[in-house]
Amino acid sequence: MAVIELKNVNVTYRVLMNKSGSLKELFRDAIKGKARVVDYVALQDISFTVEKGEVVAILGRNGAGKSTLLKVLAGVLPPTKGTSKVDGKIAPMIELGAGFHPEMTGAENVLFYSALMGRDVKRVKERTPAIGEWAGVSDHMDFPLRTFSSGMVARLAFATATDEQAEVLLVDEVLSVGDADFQEKSKARMHQLITSGAAVVLVSHDMRAVLELATKAVWLENGHAKMIGNPEEVVAAYEAN
Amino acid sequence: MKYAQLIRLLVGRELTLRYKRSVIGIGWTLLNPMLTSFVLWVVFSFVFASRLPGTQQYAPYLMAGILLMTFFSQGVTISAESIANNGPVLTKIYVPPQVFPISTALAGLVNFFIGMIPLTLVCLISGQSVAWTMPLVLVVGVCLALLTAGIGLTLSIMYIRFDDSRNIVNVFLMILMYFTPVFYPISILSERLQTIISYNPLTSYLDVFRWAFSNNATVTLFDWGYMLSTSLISIAIGTYVFKKYWPRTVAML
Repeated sequence: MAVIELKNVNVTYRVLMNKSGSLKELFRDAIKGKARVVDYVALQDISFTVEKGEVVAILGRNGAGKSTLLKVLAGVLPPTKGTSKVDGKIAPMIELGAGFHPEMTGAENVLFYSALMGRDVKRVKERTPAIGEWAGVSDHMDFPLRTFSSGMVARLAFATATDEQAEVLLVDEVLSVGDADFQEKSKARMHQLITSGAAVVLVSHDMRAVLELATKAVWLENGHAKMIGNPEEVVAAYEAN
Repeated sequence: MKYAQLIRLLVGRELTLRYKRSVIGIGWTLLNPMLTSFVLWVVFSFVFASRLPGTQQYAPYLMAGILLMTFFSQGVTISAESIANNGPVLTKIYVPPQVFPISTALAGLVNFFIGMIPLTLVCLISGQSVAWTMPLVLVVGVCLALLTAGIGLTLSIMYIRFDDSRNIVNVFLMILMYFTPVFYPISILSERLQTIISYNPLTSYLDVFRWAFSNNATVTLFDWGYMLSTSLISIAIGTYVFKKYWPRTVAML
């Protein structure tokens, strides 16, 4: 049974004609009878499935709809049409550290971030020292996050996000953060997570990583799925384009 | 409930974060209403103190008003802002967005109860005792939290869609403050104004609160009914509006 199942997913954004929405403009436009929104189609008729243990790579240029697709899969953005079904706990590895607060301590942030991802607070509390140690910030865990360097914040975010194995993994680029040593370490952990049997959707511009990790590839162009198939063929076609 | 833990963390953060960098920390929650009340008391007690009927005392009257009004206006503004503020999270991780406004309303409720400690002091100092009806303030608190959360939910959608709505809300809250008998006794007004002010739901909340806490007002059955019904209507409208418009609004974050 497929863990992720997308069926004819369409996403249409309503884009305001003017930069910012305001009541004043709404009122003015209502009087003039002017249409003030245009529809922007971000995804059109996307269907594919991801089985347990499969790694699906999403290729495409900037603005092709990759981020929108990840948002749909994460359950953050409901499709305008079609259905998106995802079974199991989702770990979104997208811009790690969303929800970190500079005034809270490292340990508090780990707890909070984990709770946002739906993890059990009690278990995370036990794991916090190990997370801090893995990130190499053990001595700083009781200080506010604003005293951390940006590299330390990134390491802590990565360590927290990857601490638990989820059934569904959404990855925006195979992240590697921090200095050279940590990059090696984080890359290895990421590879381990991706290859350990979860259903993975991987957005990447790095064709080497795609060929190495993916079992299936989807090429997005202007919101359409231009090609779905085995990674070698899709990458070859994409690079020839 | 799956997100109860998250709500608890959010409420804790809301309560401690505001004063995190100050020396006495959460002690400000106790001090703030006392200081505000003291200033207003100095200014207004000459004018209004003698106009309260019977055994009612001005100092607790004023402070109860300020506590309740702070709960309401802070709750509404912060919870309305909370969705936009947590946009970076909401566009990446799936969390029911309602947990943010709801946590804010709950944090306001906790602050409200903490504020009753100094209110008790002020009551005792001005020669009143806490009434046996005191436990009923729980009902007032819960109703007010529902009212606040409902309005906050509706406004949070508006705030994202229309940038200028927050300015209007601030002006509206200020007007509402004057249309609620926070620092003046309702009896000083003309009959017509009194009628208008009694249509303001917050007047009922406030009367019930003052009465329940230290018998410092008179309440009617209408006040109870008005309080209960407005809180339920508010949360119903809030959840409905939010559910209906959220899918389109999230794309704007």
